[in-house]
Amino acid sequence: MSGRRERVRSAIRAARGGLRAVARIARWEVSRSVGVVDRRTAALGLLALLLAGAVGGAATAAGGVALDRDVYRVGVDTDSPYHEVVVETPALAARPPEVDRLGRGVEVVVADDHVYVADSRKAQAALSTFRDAVRRHNLDRLREERNESAAFPVVVTLRYAERTPDGVVAGGESGDGTGTETGTGTGTEDTSGSAGDSDGTESAPSGADGSTSGSGSGADTATGAAGVDAATGSAADGPLGVPGFGGAGGLFGGSTSGSPADISPPFPFGALVLAFLFFVPMNFVIQPYGSTILNERINRRGELLLVAPVSPAAIVAGKTLPYLATLVGVTALVALAIGGSPVSVAAVAPIAALYLAATFVGGMFARSFKELTFVTVSISVFLTSYAFVPAIFTNVTPIALISPLTLVVHDLQGTGVTAAQYAFSTGPFYVGSAVLFALGVGVYREEDMFTQRSVPLKFLDALNSRLKGRKSVAVLSALAIPFVFIAELLAVAVLFVLPVEVSIPLLLVAVAAVEEVAKSVHVYAGFRGPFADRRGWKAALVLGALSGLGFFLGEKLTAVVQLVGLPDLALGRAAFSSAGIAATPAVGLLLLLAPLALHATTTSIASLGATRDRATYLAALVPAIAVHAAYNFAVVSTLG
Amino acid sequence: MIEVEGLRKTYGDFPAVVGSTFDVDRGEIFGIVGPNGAGKTTTLKMIAGLVDPSAGSATVAGFDASDPEMRRSLGFLPEESPLYEDMTARSYLDFFADLYDVPGEVATERIERTLDRLELDHRDRRLGDVSKGMKRKVAIARSLVNDPDVLIYDEPASGLDPLTTNYVLEFVRELRDAGKTVLFSAHNLYHVESVCDRVAIMNRGDVVARGTVPEIRETYGTTDYRVFTSVPVEGAESAGDRHVVTVEEMAAVEAVRQRAADAGGEVVDIRTREPSLEDIFLDLAADAEPDPRGGA
Repeated sequence: MSGRRERVRSAIRAARGGLRAVARIARWEVSRSVGVVDRRTAALGLLALLLAGAVGGAATAAGGVALDRDVYRVGVDTDSPYHEVVVETPALAARPPEVDRLGRGVEVVVADDHVYVADSRKAQAALSTFRDAVRRHNLDRLREERNESAAFPVVVTLRYAERTPDGVVAGGESGDGTGTETGTGTGTEDTSGSAGDSDGTESAPSGADGSTSGSGSGADTATGAAGVDAATGSAADGPLGVPGFGGAGGLFGGSTSGSPADISPPFPFGALVLAFLFFVPMNFVIQPYGSTILNERINRRGELLLVAPVSPAAIVAGKTLPYLATLVGVTALVALAIGGSPVSVAAVAPIAALYLAATFVGGMFARSFKELTFVTVSISVFLTSYAFVPAIFTNVTPIALISPLTLVVHDLQGTGVTAAQYAFSTGPFYVGSAVLFALGVGVYREEDMFTQRSVPLKFLDALNSRLKGRKSVAVLSALAIPFVFIAELLAVAVLFVLPVEVSIPLLLVAVAAVEEVAKSVHVYAGFRGPFADRRGWKAALVLGALSGLGFFLGEKLTAVVQLVGLPDLALGRAAFSSAGIAATPAVGLLLLLAPLALHATTTSIASLGATRDRATYLAALVPAIAVHAAYNFAVVSTLG
Repeated sequence: MIEVEGLRKTYGDFPAVVGSTFDVDRGEIFGIVGPNGAGKTTTLKMIAGLVDPSAGSATVAGFDASDPEMRRSLGFLPEESPLYEDMTARSYLDFFADLYDVPGEVATERIERTLDRLELDHRDRRLGDVSKGMKRKVAIARSLVNDPDVLIYDEPASGLDPLTTNYVLEFVRELRDAGKTVLFSAHNLYHVESVCDRVAIMNRGDVVARGTVPEIRETYGTTDYRVFTSVPVEGAESAGDRHVVTVEEMAAVEAVRQRAADAGGEVVDIRTREPSLEDIFLDLAADAEPDPRGGA
């Protein structure tokens, strides 16, 4: 009992010591980083930022930057109600209403209840701009009306129908229970009442547009909730909520009143632009972070830290902490500035962690600053694309949830985020970050840090650093799941725009390839490292089976997908059916065990090739992928 | 203080160290000499816990080399000591003292004392702006911030000018006199011979000789007899107005004496010459079997 107590005390002391070391190295990293940039440069940088901010702010305060300011001239009397429209529209310039100057000094003249247009293409464009400006002006006036039903007597209910896998738009409010998903923004309009619809410019401007008061109901598959508030014209929240009207008013989901012409697809442009702001600091921060990691490796500079009584993990944590804290702090400031809640910060934090983790591994693998630059740019492009592109479809499809940025968009739209959605979006990022840091720390030692081996060989070294006995093969396979998950979800996101008959076969092969590589690459590494003296077929079968088992167990974690309904999507079903997610109880047992047999078999095939050389390993991957893909086809066909 | 038993390190199929065994007593300067690629640095790094041995063991101050606690008793100076050049000497040493949990006041006093002893000026200048000799002194000062019992110095005088080299070697002697145990490697055999109490000669990953310099000389060296004659005899070289023949056995001396007498002259002087460590080292290197590792 006392022995156990002593062990606990010892562990606590060690943990405290480790934390102290992390704090010391973090303080040192901060002081060094500050020292790298001299004060004059820092001051100039800050000044440039302030200047840019001031210019941007001034431009915004002045109504924004209008490159087409005063490009069209409209003759209109100052007493005319249209004079105000022309004045408030940047592209239009007011001129005296002289019809005889048409084509020489003005493009359009409004006089005597008529609109006169010069005979030129520019005049036609001027007329179009003028018409849009008048319509917008009218809507603004109507929106100011207290009696909304008087201003917008027509109520339009927009209902987004679900699309079946073959692309047919289903009718009705809800799905047919087959697991199809909303997705394209195809909508039906039910109108009631009548709408005056006169365009008030060309011949007899009336000043009153046909107007609508829109309220929408969206099939909200993620939350299962949808609602309509017809009286107020506001929509209940949900990923597929009311589509916003276009224009600046639609920044956060858009206005719910306006003209049918203003109805736009549910593209969260404003929220996306603001969400993108979170990425800007990340791309700046990973540069010095990558440099500080690589600096430790240049000329063996980090050797002295390694011989100090500090663990490699503490060194890495200490060096990373200031950059992570900076990113989280900047993220919080950005969230504060653009109206995001702590949800936005919590969603961006794992992205920042993965940025740093990938950069850390890049810094550990790169042999020069040139290679590091290539690595950091690749990381920026890949992670930005991975996070940003799916978020475009935030209001269209649940696939968008593969990106934590989608949570930010939801947050900015005020549509809320569930715990399951958060876990689904951020889980792979958190686990992926942890695994990458673990791999990098594995080679943060004298024997690996200062070698000039190529990046692929360093990757194999990193895998080898975590191979401690046979069981670790299974553990590494399980830990590969987040990356497999990310790769497969990315494949789903990329392929879902293709016709289903093309995308699903492609996806099944892609899934097989990704999984086979993930299951066997560390076995291949092991045969060049700790298992080098056991390159027999028996060892290959044992390690292959263990890897398959580990992957199978890890794969079960993909059950979280079900929490947000992604498998309900046809492509999601295809992607994860081989993961052993049972479609019916009858085939449940078979589907539970079949993937295990599959993974053990195919990984053993690849492992047999891995015992020899790289070419044989790559050759062995082909039949392994083929068997896996055939299995995937069989399962998808069985499940229909 | 240091015990090394069958230490072995292989990189793939290449055995960098094939089984070193030696020990270093408290308060002793122990030198490891050998040509490039002999395995000196790998051996020192295994003892310092930087490199995991493939086989064998090393203990330092009673701790296994793999035990992180061992590092508190150790001051390690690598062959190259690239510093964080954006730091000053003082802030650099403060940081390492902090890492070793040295209390602030103790650290300050110790650092100042060491810097004074090493006559290190420019303590608040960026390390990137000081000379190589100054950087080496800072690196040596860093190895002492935790007041370790054991010091492992890999080529401490590497790349330094003769004046600074002598200064560093004298400082190593002082450390020994202060009770520190010093294990260091060097290419320059004169440095080892002049400073070390005991020596191990490594070649091709193996310790081929060890002991005090006289012991090694006695075991592995041969004494030369330089026989000076008044007349030229067979095999003699001119040495001013005399002639000299170098032989390795007393019987050969008698033969020279007879040849000189036959030529109408005589032996005017006989001197013995002790072999240097370098001579022994060269002999051992030449006698060694072809490198089993396939390296140079």
